[in-house]
Amino acid sequence: MLQELKELYKYRELIVNLVIRDLKVRYKNSAIGFLWSLANPIIQAATITVIFKFVLEIKIPNYSAYLFCAYLVWGFFYYSVLDACDSVLLHGGLVKKTYFPREVMPISVCISNLIHFCLAMVVFFLYVILYLRAPVLVTWLMLPVLIFIQFLYHLGLAFFMSCANVFYEDVKYMAMAFLNLVFYAMPVIYPIEKVYYSKFVPGPYKELVYYLYMLNPLSYLITAYRKTLLEPMNVKDFPDFALNYGFLGLALVVSLFFCIAGYAFFNSRKWQFVEKL
Amino acid sequence: MIAVSIKNLKKNFRLTHSGQISLKQAALSFRRRKPDVVEAIRGISFDIDQGETVAVIGRNGSGKSTLLGVCGKIYRPTSGEVIVNGRISTLLDLGAGFHPDLTGIENIYLYGAILGMSRKEINARMDNIVGFAELEDFIDAPIRTYSAGMTMRLGFSIAVQVDPNVLLVDEVLAVGDESFQLKCYDKVRQFQEAGKTIIFVSHDMEAVRKVATRVIWMHYGVIRMDGEVDHVLEAYHKSSERKTEEQ
Repeated sequence: MLQELKELYKYRELIVNLVIRDLKVRYKNSAIGFLWSLANPIIQAATITVIFKFVLEIKIPNYSAYLFCAYLVWGFFYYSVLDACDSVLLHGGLVKKTYFPREVMPISVCISNLIHFCLAMVVFFLYVILYLRAPVLVTWLMLPVLIFIQFLYHLGLAFFMSCANVFYEDVKYMAMAFLNLVFYAMPVIYPIEKVYYSKFVPGPYKELVYYLYMLNPLSYLITAYRKTLLEPMNVKDFPDFALNYGFLGLALVVSLFFCIAGYAFFNSRKWQFVEKL
Repeated sequence: MIAVSIKNLKKNFRLTHSGQISLKQAALSFRRRKPDVVEAIRGISFDIDQGETVAVIGRNGSGKSTLLGVCGKIYRPTSGEVIVNGRISTLLDLGAGFHPDLTGIENIYLYGAILGMSRKEINARMDNIVGFAELEDFIDAPIRTYSAGMTMRLGFSIAVQVDPNVLLVDEVLAVGDESFQLKCYDKVRQFQEAGKTIIFVSHDMEAVRKVATRVIWMHYGVIRMDGEVDHVLEAYHKSSERKTEEQ
């Protein structure tokens, strides 16, 4: 694997170039260009605010911000995984005709989605500061750590998915269906505390269900984003948990494991791509 | 010095049936089923010295392109060994890495990076690339507005600027109009004078006679003949004629 990493490092400029191409091509023929990357989260924020504040009239102060935050993190995950599925197939012509480390394809997709997420986070902070007039928190400094852990997780999944999708194109469609289900299994539209305090889980199983949730790194990451970027919700029915560094550490370990295992999986099969495409 | 060394190289391809086969079809084709493995190259060995220009000839499906692919690290050999000394550049398909919506300049950076050049190297060669492709006036326009010939010219210009030690060429020397072809042959001659190694696949015997110093004739995955240009070409020609007469 060290050998492979060395070779990959030699081609780092290719990754940069592919990312630049991705970003340039995405909005090449649109009038406002990369501003679309900002427009989408703005529209999302507006919709969420209107629905939850004025239609559903949820009483939790600034609930829209908690949702918006989780929604952006979810979108980052969703598009990274789906785009990664196609990444090798889309470059079929290239794979057949030239040599380069094949892993640059999923990696560059993950990086360009990372850049889009960072742009979206700018919108998020403007929303929090200018619209909600919420305070600036010291814990915002945690953001790079959270993004790093999530990025590792994406890389790992991207390696698995992009590789598997070459052999069975069903993988992408399965991923699409599965992701829509998984959406509800992650604390996006509800806070994680709700799971723990649910009336329907009998006492002794509370911990078990909670820990099962934590096995998915993204579940705790979404929660961690909320807890570091926004103030506690302060709702009586389900008191806020403090940020748990143990779970964050677990998320890091699981993500790192995915990343390494995915890379090994990808490398052991990348030589067959050219014969399948 | 040996530039490319091939030892007992074998390359098999597994046949993949695309799409689902119905039960009826499967039953009907059971008896006359094709073998699942195609042996594209069945154990060949040879060395190429630094500075040689080797033409690989042979009929369709004889394994010529597979051989280039294995040398260019696109395919991994089924068994055997390929050792290449120095940097390789492949001219297997010009412009495979181009993106139609990007401009000429942007594509030069992209394709250059695919071929393993750094941004610095590309910047240093930019004028040469654009000049050689004769695209000074169009270089800021998106590639999709280019004609096929212009795209090929740009691809060729970038690939030859990689400054490889070994150049692999698959049937692409015939790009562009006559004046550009002359330039291509000039470039090949420059490579030869600089002591580079060139391996190319061609069906154009005129081109082979013009630039090759050695010819390898491949036939169904094995080397039928390997040696001096005129000698091999004559034998190949005779064999082709015999084939035509038989039919």
